[in-house]
Formats: sequence, C-alpha cells, structure tokens
Amino acid sequence: MFRSKIKEAIICLEAGRVTLAYPFAPAFIPKGFRGLPSVDINRCVGCGGCASVCPSSLVEIVDEPDRTTITRYFERCIYCGRCADVCPEMAIEMTERFETATNDIRDLHVVHHIYMATCSRCGRCFSSQTPLDPPDYRSFKGTRLNRLGVEST
Amino acid sequence: MESVEEAAGIRAPRRARYIRTILLELERIHSHLLWLGIAGHIIGFDTVLMQSWRMREPVMWAAEKITGNRKTYGQNLIGGVRRDIEKELIPELFPMLDTLEQQWKKVLDAIAGDTTLKARLEGVGILPADKARDLCVVGPTVRGSDIPIDSRVDHPYAAYDELVPRVITFTGCDNWARVLVRMHETFESIRLIREGLKNLPDGPILTQVEETPPPGREGMIVVEAPRGEAIHYVITGSDYRPYRWRVRAPTYQQLQALPSMIQHATVADVPITLGSMDPCFSCTERLEVIDVKTHKVKVYSNEEILNISRRKYGRG
Ligand code: SF4
Ligand code: SF4
Repeated sequence: MFRSKIKEAIICLEAGRVTLAYPFAPAFIPKGFRGLPSVDINRCVGCGGCASVCPSSLVEIVDEPDRTTITRYFERCIYCGRCADVCPEMAIEMTERFETATNDIRDLHVVHHIYMATCSRCGRCFSSQTPLDPPDYRSFKGTRLNRLGVEST
Repeated sequence: MESVEEAAGIRAPRRARYIRTILLELERIHSHLLWLGIAGHIIGFDTVLMQSWRMREPVMWAAEKITGNRKTYGQNLIGGVRRDIEKELIPELFPMLDTLEQQWKKVLDAIAGDTTLKARLEGVGILPADKARDLCVVGPTVRGSDIPIDSRVDHPYAAYDELVPRVITFTGCDNWARVLVRMHETFESIRLIREGLKNLPDGPILTQVEETPPPGREGMIVVEAPRGEAIHYVITGSDYRPYRWRVRAPTYQQLQALPSMIQHATVADVPITLGSMDPCFSCTERLEVIDVKTHKVKVYSNEEILNISRRKYGRG
C-alpha cells in the first residue's frame, strides 16, 4: 500500500513542471500544421472546387451575371485542408491561426466578389483582371448561368 | 472509408494501409490514456488524471506532426491517405514511444499495488462472460470478461493482416479487469507502432480512383475503435453521394450491459462502472421529446431538426 503510494509520488515528482506558458507565450506549432485557411482572392478564378470538396459545405458560391460571390462560413471549418489541396490556382493556404473564438459569429464570415468575364470564344467564365475591366455581358451564352436556368442578358 | 473502398472494389496501397494502422494505434494509445485519467477522476484519484494526461500530450503532438492536427486528422481518403509519414519524423517517434512505455510501466507498477484503488475497482461492476456474450458487448469491456473478441484480428482491415495484435483478455469480469485490459493494450499498441514504423513499406500512398462506383453497391467494414467495434455500412448512390450510410458506434451495445453490472451495487459505484466501459454519449444519442405534463411523445423528423439548428445559427 505505502510502497505504491510512494511510487505514485515519484511519478509525479519526476515529471517536474510541465505546464506550458501558453497563452502568455505563443504555442508551439509544428511544421505542416493546418489552421484557418486564408484565401488569396486575387488568384481565385471562381471554379468552385473548394465548395465541392469542403466536408462542412461552408463555401457558398452564387453566380450573378457579372460576378460570382463566394461566402465562407468559417465557424464550421474543421481545418481539414481539402480546399487548399484541391484549389487549382493555389489560392488557399492553411495558416497557423487557430485562435478564432469570437463574440460575434459574423467575424468568421468571409465574403468575396469576383468579377467574371466570359471568353468570347468558348463562352465560359473567367475572372476579369480588375473590377474596372468590365465583363462583356453580350456574350453570356452557354455559361454556368444558363445551366442554372438563368436567362442570359 | 474502407467501406466505400470495399463498395468500389479499391484497395489502398500497402504503405497507406501501414500509415492508417499506425495512426489508429496512436489513437488507441491516447484514448486509453485519457480513459485512465477519467476513470481515476471518477473515483477521486486525480493524480492519475494529471499524470496520464501529461503522458498523453506527446502522443497528441506526434499525431499533430504526422497529420497536421491533434485530433481531427483528416488523413483518410478513398484509396489511401493524404499525408505521408516523413522520413525525418520517424527517428523522433521512437524516443517518444520509449519514454511513454517506460512511464506507463511505472504507472502500471504503482497502481497494481494500490489497495485503495483496488478496493474501489475489484469485484465491482461484475459482467460475467456468458452475460456479456448474450448482450453482445464489445471492445475492452468484453475482453475484461475473458472473451477474446477483437475485430483487428477477427476481420483484419488496414494493415492488421501483417501487423497482428495480441488480443488481451483478463478473467476478472470487474472494473479492475477492464483497467488492466486497457493498460496492457496500450503496450501492445506501442509495439505495433514500432513494428509498423520499422517495416514501413515504400510506395505510393494513394491509388488513383479511375471511376466512381455505380449506385447501389454495398460496403461494410468493422473497425476496432478504442472503445470497441464500430461498424460502417454504405450503399453508394448517384451524384458522388452515398445513398445510405449507417454507423454503429460501440457505446450503444455496451450500455445494454449496464443494468446487470450495477445490480446490487452501491450508488457510489455506479459512475465508475459506467465509466469502465468508456461510454460516448454523443455516439449514442437518440432524440425523443416527451412532454412531462401530457405524456405525449414527439419524434422530430430530419427536416425539423435541420430547421431548428439553422434557426439557432441565425440562418434560414
Ligand atoms: S479547411 Fe476543410 S472545412 Fe475548412 S473550408 Fe477548407 S475544406 Fe472546408
Ligand atoms: S478552388 Fe480555388 S480557384 Fe476555385 S473557387 Fe475555390 S478558391 Fe477559387
């Protein structure tokens, strides 16, 4: 009985102090850690790849005539990194941020608008260089909009 | 994952299966360490909670280094795994396992002679072998009743056909036997990880899936989770979605044994007896709302639950 109590005490004493100084010191983050994804919207072409693989379905993509709106509800993100793996333009990067607690859920919502133009040859959407570089509506044919049942202008 | 693979007739490459095994065993180690802490906490022995959770932390870090996250590994894909175990990482893992093994031996040695602990655990929460068999109890709970059921051996998946675990059973049928089963299983898992890392085969970690399985194919897999066997059953559907996916987590069966385990027990023994089967209530939750005044039972449909939770999140 006493022997085992002493053994237990030795286990505790041997450990010494193990408490980390976090949150007063930064936490150790290993290489390859997957934190909150960050999106470089300048690279995004609105292909929707991230929306289709996201296991939490937190990426919402809405096509409007001249632009695509991508809304991400990051409160549901599980930091799996599938979106970063799949993005053809490498627009998504997994950051080291994980302290995302907030009082207002809207802090975690990210809305992006991409101004889309259509290729005059194949009629598919691509993102225009800048919002000031206006897309040509007249050639909106055979695009995703039509497939969604929206009349082209 | 493997049930979908079975439905689609895909087999993950050997290296991927080894990596899966290693991660599954890491998972088992940290689950058992966590469980011992909780069990100690339930009976008021908080030292063991502090110590086993301290030992658990390096395991979590190892998992974080391998997969990128402590707990939600996100590692499995249909046809393989996402991240390889890098060469530089392997030498780091062996010392971690050695330290853990030494420390765990000390813990086992210390608590094995602890009469206070034994007074709380020995002869409490008896589940005789025939009863356990009748109630289809699974996992460490049934292995504590001397029935050698382990789906890693009975229905090998991942790389368990090559890395064969030893099934650990104890004859005590009580809470103490279940403690011992889990403690010894941890050593077994450490051994399996070591062997897996040493014999890690070369090769790809992901097979390219050529075509999606046609709708209506079935797949089923039994996986020995730390708590017992978890069953996943899938019927493939159209549009890359499953038509049906049924999961049976082990806690539901375990709970059936509780009434007989706590028969004639004192109230103070009930929490640890329940704790001894490592219950996970979120795996077991079934929702039924009963109005206390009118005794009316209401069962919510899928749609209604979705709407309630959407309203709660301020959407829809
Ligand atoms: S990390 Fe995973 S959950 Fe989060 S947005 Fe990307 S795919 Fe979705
Ligand atoms: S996958 Fe990349 S390019 Fe495609 S919509 Fe998502 S962020 Fe944009």
